[in-house]
Amino acid sequence: MSLGTIDRSLPPFFNQGPSALSKLMFFGALSLFLMVADARFNVTQPIRAAIATALYPVQWLAVQPVHAVKNGSAYFTDLSQAQSESAEARRKLALKSLRAGQVEQLTQENDRLRKLLDLREQLAIPVLAAEVLYDAADPYTRKVIIDKGQAHKMDLGSPVLDESGVLGQVTRVHPLVSEVTLVVDRDLAIPVLNVRTGARSVAYGDPIAGGGGMELRFMGSNADVQVGDLLTTSGVDGVYPAGLPVATVSRIEHRAESAFSKIYCVPKALTTGARHVLVVKPVTSDLGLLPDAPAPVVPGRKGTAK
Amino acid sequence: MIMRSGQQLLLPANPLFIWASLIVALLLNMLPLGRVPWMPDFLALVLVFWNVHQPLRVGIGIAFMFGLAMDVHQTSLLGQHAFSYTALSFFAAMIQRRLLWFTVPLQALQVLPLFAAAHGAELILRLLGGGVFPGWIVLVAPLLEALLWPVASVLLLVPQLRAPDRDENRPL
Repeated sequence: MSLGTIDRSLPPFFNQGPSALSKLMFFGALSLFLMVADARFNVTQPIRAAIATALYPVQWLAVQPVHAVKNGSAYFTDLSQAQSESAEARRKLALKSLRAGQVEQLTQENDRLRKLLDLREQLAIPVLAAEVLYDAADPYTRKVIIDKGQAHKMDLGSPVLDESGVLGQVTRVHPLVSEVTLVVDRDLAIPVLNVRTGARSVAYGDPIAGGGGMELRFMGSNADVQVGDLLTTSGVDGVYPAGLPVATVSRIEHRAESAFSKIYCVPKALTTGARHVLVVKPVTSDLGLLPDAPAPVVPGRKGTAK
Repeated sequence: MIMRSGQQLLLPANPLFIWASLIVALLLNMLPLGRVPWMPDFLALVLVFWNVHQPLRVGIGIAFMFGLAMDVHQTSLLGQHAFSYTALSFFAAMIQRRLLWFTVPLQALQVLPLFAAAHGAELILRLLGGGVFPGWIVLVAPLLEALLWPVASVLLLVPQLRAPDRDENRPL
């Protein structure tokens, strides 16, 4: 019989280390402490950043097979579908180019008028393109991870857009990646403007409503809101640049027991399956108005009329 | 060593294989498949398995470290997975002596409450922390993990089931 069949190191009979119960106490208390520190005091960011950086190669490895399958299936889509997609893209481009020409002319006109009236000039917005690495698997929040971080001069609190509207806001910046809280997350709120009426309000994330929607809170039952109204960012928060499309109103419920009506909205951005996104610098960072400890996410749960 | 009748004598476990299996489970958990509440936690399964079969090599400390890694990856509350994995390892160590006396399907039945308790603890912690209730579909996750226990029992014991003396006529 070969010697490889026996475990040659003797099991430690006398020196067994701390007991399982004491280990449970220690690590349980440590994790509870970490949870409180994370949820209440926001002091765990260095630990998170360190672990995230160490995990980056493993994450990269885990992402590869799924991306390979996606790319492979895209390779095998049939020709007619590719052609129709290309035609659709060209049609969209034509529409956009018409609009772009108009915008060019309107911008010039606006500039001249603003100078004429002696108004403050509008700021040019620096942007950064990023790619979504993966949807965070945590079922209790709505977040995605993008592939730009501190190394790419990402700012905490930056708005994130996709091709059709506001997708969310950067809520944690690690050295190589960043976390983006989506507009449908319960803790995210965006000041919006109803384009049709010009009324300002605040849209809150509502992840329960059919897989992810938004809600306009504190709009009186008699407020002028109709199904199909487009909501854009109002810019009063100093984070989101004004005029970006956020959502459309999808359903209005008038309730007898409340002075407010319940207004459901559908976000314009792809909250599931967005791939390429644009990160915009927060507006106030240019003006130097951002406080030292930025708390850009408005806690949506507190004091709500639920 | 007193053993269940009919149980095969196993070769010593290779520490490299244990670590490799833990890393592979971490990779499986990290596959970007979107937000699936009923997704079984492969890492929890493998951790419980090694806590039961090799309690001297894989313990509560390792479970805690892997839990922190999962927390950062999933952007959940820092310490949530660490807490549930710590509790899982402790209870696995508690039932370790008894569990190995049962056949594998009965073992799966006995680890089911463990996984259910771990998921329940996570759910309670997150709801206390102000999370959104993900729906009753989360109850499927511990069931799937218990169903995967026999699979893990076969796959992870394969290197230890080889013949002690290599024989040309018996490759396995």
